[in-house]
Amino acid sequence: MDQNRQGARASYVALAVFVAAWILLPSAVRRFNREAFVEFQAPALHLAGKSRDLATFWEKKSRSTEELVAAGRDLARINAALELKLKGLEDIRRENQRLREVTRYNVPAEYLSVVARVATRDSSSWWQRIVIRKGRNDGIRPGAPVVFGDTVVGRVTAVHLTTSEVDLVTSPGFRCTAYLEGDDQSRIVLVNGVAAHSLGTAKARVSVIPYDYLLPAGTPARVTTTGMGGVFPSGLTLGYLDGGAYATQVGNFKESLLVPSRDLYNLQEVSVLVPLIQTPGEALMQGEQFQ
Amino acid sequence: MGWAWLILLLATYPWLLGADLASDALASSSLVVFVSGACLIAPARRLKRWQCVLFAAGLGFLFEARRPIPDGALALTLVAVAIFLSSNRALLRSTPRMLQGAAVVNVGACLTWFVAAAIAADAPADGAFGHLFGQLLLAGVVGALGLVPVALTQNAAMDRLGVPPAPDTP
Repeated sequence: MDQNRQGARASYVALAVFVAAWILLPSAVRRFNREAFVEFQAPALHLAGKSRDLATFWEKKSRSTEELVAAGRDLARINAALELKLKGLEDIRRENQRLREVTRYNVPAEYLSVVARVATRDSSSWWQRIVIRKGRNDGIRPGAPVVFGDTVVGRVTAVHLTTSEVDLVTSPGFRCTAYLEGDDQSRIVLVNGVAAHSLGTAKARVSVIPYDYLLPAGTPARVTTTGMGGVFPSGLTLGYLDGGAYATQVGNFKESLLVPSRDLYNLQEVSVLVPLIQTPGEALMQGEQFQ
Repeated sequence: MGWAWLILLLATYPWLLGADLASDALASSSLVVFVSGACLIAPARRLKRWQCVLFAAGLGFLFEARRPIPDGALALTLVAVAIFLSSNRALLRSTPRMLQGAAVVNVGACLTWFVAAAIAADAPADGAFGHLFGQLLLAGVVGALGLVPVALTQNAAMDRLGVPPAPDTP
C-alpha cells in the first residue's frame, strides 16, 4: 500500500515537472504535437465524410430510370403519384439549386476558388467550426475566406495536410468590417461572432452602427463585406440584420444581431477563395496559426 | 505488454469518432458530445499506472487537436485523473461505482476544457453559465450511458492483449 502511495506521489511530482516543462517548451513543439494528432484523425474524418457522400449517392442511385418513367406515366393519371414524384425529385432539385448557387458567384481574378466538401461540423459556446476535406496539399492557406455562392461562410483558421478548419461567421473569433444596406454614406460597421446559446440559433453581432442609421422598411437589411483588410472580397453577403438595432450603453452607436443568410450547419460544400498573392494579414496569421 | 495503451487507444478511437459525429449532428445546438473522460475508467482499473497515463494523454490530445483549446489543458488534466484513479482502484471496484466515476470524470474533464476554451476565447460570452450547465449535463449523461459499451470494447481489447483482470479487492 505504501509502495502504491509512493508511486502515486512520484507520478504527481513527475506530472508537475512535465507541466512546467510543457509551459516552457517552444510553441513549435506544442504545434507539432497538435499537428500530429490532427493528422492521425484526418483519415477517419475523410472516411466519415466520404461514407456520407456514398450513402447519398446510393440513395439517389437506387431510383432507377424505369421507376422515374413509371412515376412520370402515373403522374398524368393519379394525383397521388404526382405527389410521390414531387417528393422524389425534391432532393434532386435541392442539389441542382445548390450547385447553381455555388457557381453563381464570379470569383474575383485575384482569388483562386477551391471547392471543398464539408467533413464534420463542430460547435460549442466557444467555437463554431466546420472541417473541410481540402488542405495544404490543395493549396489552401490560413486566413482564406470561405464562401457559398456570394455568401460568406467563414474563414480558414487552421490548415492541415488534407483537411482545414473553418471558423464560421457566427464563431466568437470571427471579425470583419461591413456595409449596411440602406446606408447611403456607406459607413463601416463591425461584425463579430457571438458565443452561441445552447439549443439556439447561432448569430453574429453587428456593432458601431451609426446612430442615425434607419433600417429599410419592409425587408431585412443586408450586410455586405467592405473588401477592406484584404481578407474578404467586397460585396459578399454576410447576412441580414435581425430585427431592430438597439443603442449601446455609451449611446453613440447602435448594435444589432446578424442572422447568416444560410443555415451554416447544413452546408455540404463550400468554396475557399485562396488569394493568388499572399496578403499582409495572411502572412501574420501564418506566423502563429491562430486558433 | 508495453504497447497495450496504444492498441487500447486505437480500439477506443471509434468511440471518439462516434462522439465527433454525434457532435456534428448536434452542431446547430452548440453542444459537444464528450466521452473522453468516460473512456478513461475501464483502463484505469487494469492498466499499469504509466500505461494509463499515456493512454489518458492520448485521449486528451485527440480531443484538443481540432479545437481551440489551449495545448495540453485537457490532456494534462486527464493524466492527473489517470494517476489518481490508477492509485485508488478501490474507487472503481463495482459497476455502479464505475458509472458514478464515469459521470464525475466526464463532467470534470468537460468543465476543464470549457473553462480553458473560455480563457483562450477572443470574445466574452453572453449567458456562459447556461451554456456550461447544458454542456455539463450532457457530459454527465453521455459519460454514464456511454461507459458500458465503451468499457465492454476496452475490456475485450485488454483481454486479447493479455492485460491482467482488475482485482476484486484492489
